[in-house]
Amino acid sequence: MEANERVKETEEKQEVWSWGAGTEGQLGTEKLQDEHIPQLLPLLPSISRLSCGGAHVIALTYGKKVLTWGRGASGQLGHGNMVNSLEPKSVQVLSNFNITHVSAGWNHSGFVSECGQVFTCGDGSFGQLGLGDYVSQSSPIKVSHFASRHVYQIACGMRHSLALLKGEHGDQVYGFGSGKRGQLGISKEKVKAVSLPQSVSGLQEVNVSSISANGDHSAALSSEGNLYTWGRGFGGAPDVCCPDRVISRFSFKQAALGWNHVLGLTDEGDVLMLGGSHHGVLNNPQKDVLVNQDLTEEQVKKIPGLNKIKVVGIASGSEHSVLITENGEVMTWGWGEHGQLGLGDTCDHTCPQLVNIAQNAEHQYITSSKVYCGSGFTFVVRACRPKQT
Amino acid sequence: MSYDDVEIEDMEWNEELKSYTYPCPCGDLFQITKEELKIGEEIARCPSCSLYITVIYNMEDFTDQKPKTNVEPPKQQPVAVA
Ligand SMILES: [Zn+2]
Repeated sequence: MEANERVKETEEKQEVWSWGAGTEGQLGTEKLQDEHIPQLLPLLPSISRLSCGGAHVIALTYGKKVLTWGRGASGQLGHGNMVNSLEPKSVQVLSNFNITHVSAGWNHSGFVSECGQVFTCGDGSFGQLGLGDYVSQSSPIKVSHFASRHVYQIACGMRHSLALLKGEHGDQVYGFGSGKRGQLGISKEKVKAVSLPQSVSGLQEVNVSSISANGDHSAALSSEGNLYTWGRGFGGAPDVCCPDRVISRFSFKQAALGWNHVLGLTDEGDVLMLGGSHHGVLNNPQKDVLVNQDLTEEQVKKIPGLNKIKVVGIASGSEHSVLITENGEVMTWGWGEHGQLGLGDTCDHTCPQLVNIAQNAEHQYITSSKVYCGSGFTFVVRACRPKQT
Repeated sequence: MSYDDVEIEDMEWNEELKSYTYPCPCGDLFQITKEELKIGEEIARCPSCSLYITVIYNMEDFTDQKPKTNVEPPKQQPVAVA
């Protein structure tokens, strides 16, 4: 999912932009307010990956260290307290580890170290920390259940978490936390909640390359490009308790889950959506989105208005979506009430709209961009290089 | 249009807000008080946005004189502060 290319040229500069809901400090702007247009953030250490949750952000640096900011009321920032942070602060407890993967859920956080250890903190009321209890934690605690087994990824949803393990017996996905909508995938029936990781059934034969969780949804992407989803049903469909392959003739290279939709990025650079019947019309219910209400052969439908534009990256908030084109342009659509579309207003959109992100310096071009979404906000991390004159 | 239908048992009691709450996609919380539930209100609103949800519950569970009902008052979860 991550291109993970390092900033090679010393002259290359990284820019971090944010917009949308900001009243918990999640935008990193050091202000407690929504922003309707992209805001350039004060200089941060070079970031390799972001993960945005309900109202907090986890940043992973190229030095494999972790910074967090935004809402901290459940301990999700891992700073040892329960307070919000308006500015990026390092997670001290993790400073002795090299962290390689992070995930921000609604009010909890997960961190994976280079040697495969996984740590969690934040809201634990549903067992989503995987620590065997229903207690919240304000500092990252090691999930001892996996013992010495190697965890590669963690994905944190609203009230549940997934972990991806790789080993000699193949890949294994584990689920813990709330299972009320089938999002754990651990049994044929819905389970209320589990506080210790349990193996997800039905993926044993699958070579899983990435996992994701958001809202009450879970997803796994196979190395062959198959997309599996489980949890709350999309578009009014029944909940699914075991991983279910999305029927499509396309092969996917990235998936992005919202609270009522999932986006898939195909190998050809097209974006498809499953669910999302209210995507872009939350504040205008009379208007109908004409996307995949029929669950016929193709469950997924192409996003309208993209024509021949090739897409290289996608992200989903709870009710909005973001993509990056091959030219480095950022487009957004969906719910816009908090300015999360970055278009200067609070309107909803059913088709992707171009976001105007100012060029900081006149003579520069963008070498790479990545997009990330929290529930009601958006981040773009991009590398720029001066033009040769 | 209601954003979602949510059963009361899936909502969390928030002592600070003195309300039952459920995550709102904006990042804030849908909220409804016991008093509102007592009078049959079924809409929980978010203070930060225009969205609202419909709460599914038995009014009788909240109209009793004594709050001793079969709706278990969600217990405050302990929090470990390092
Ligand atoms: Zn809201």
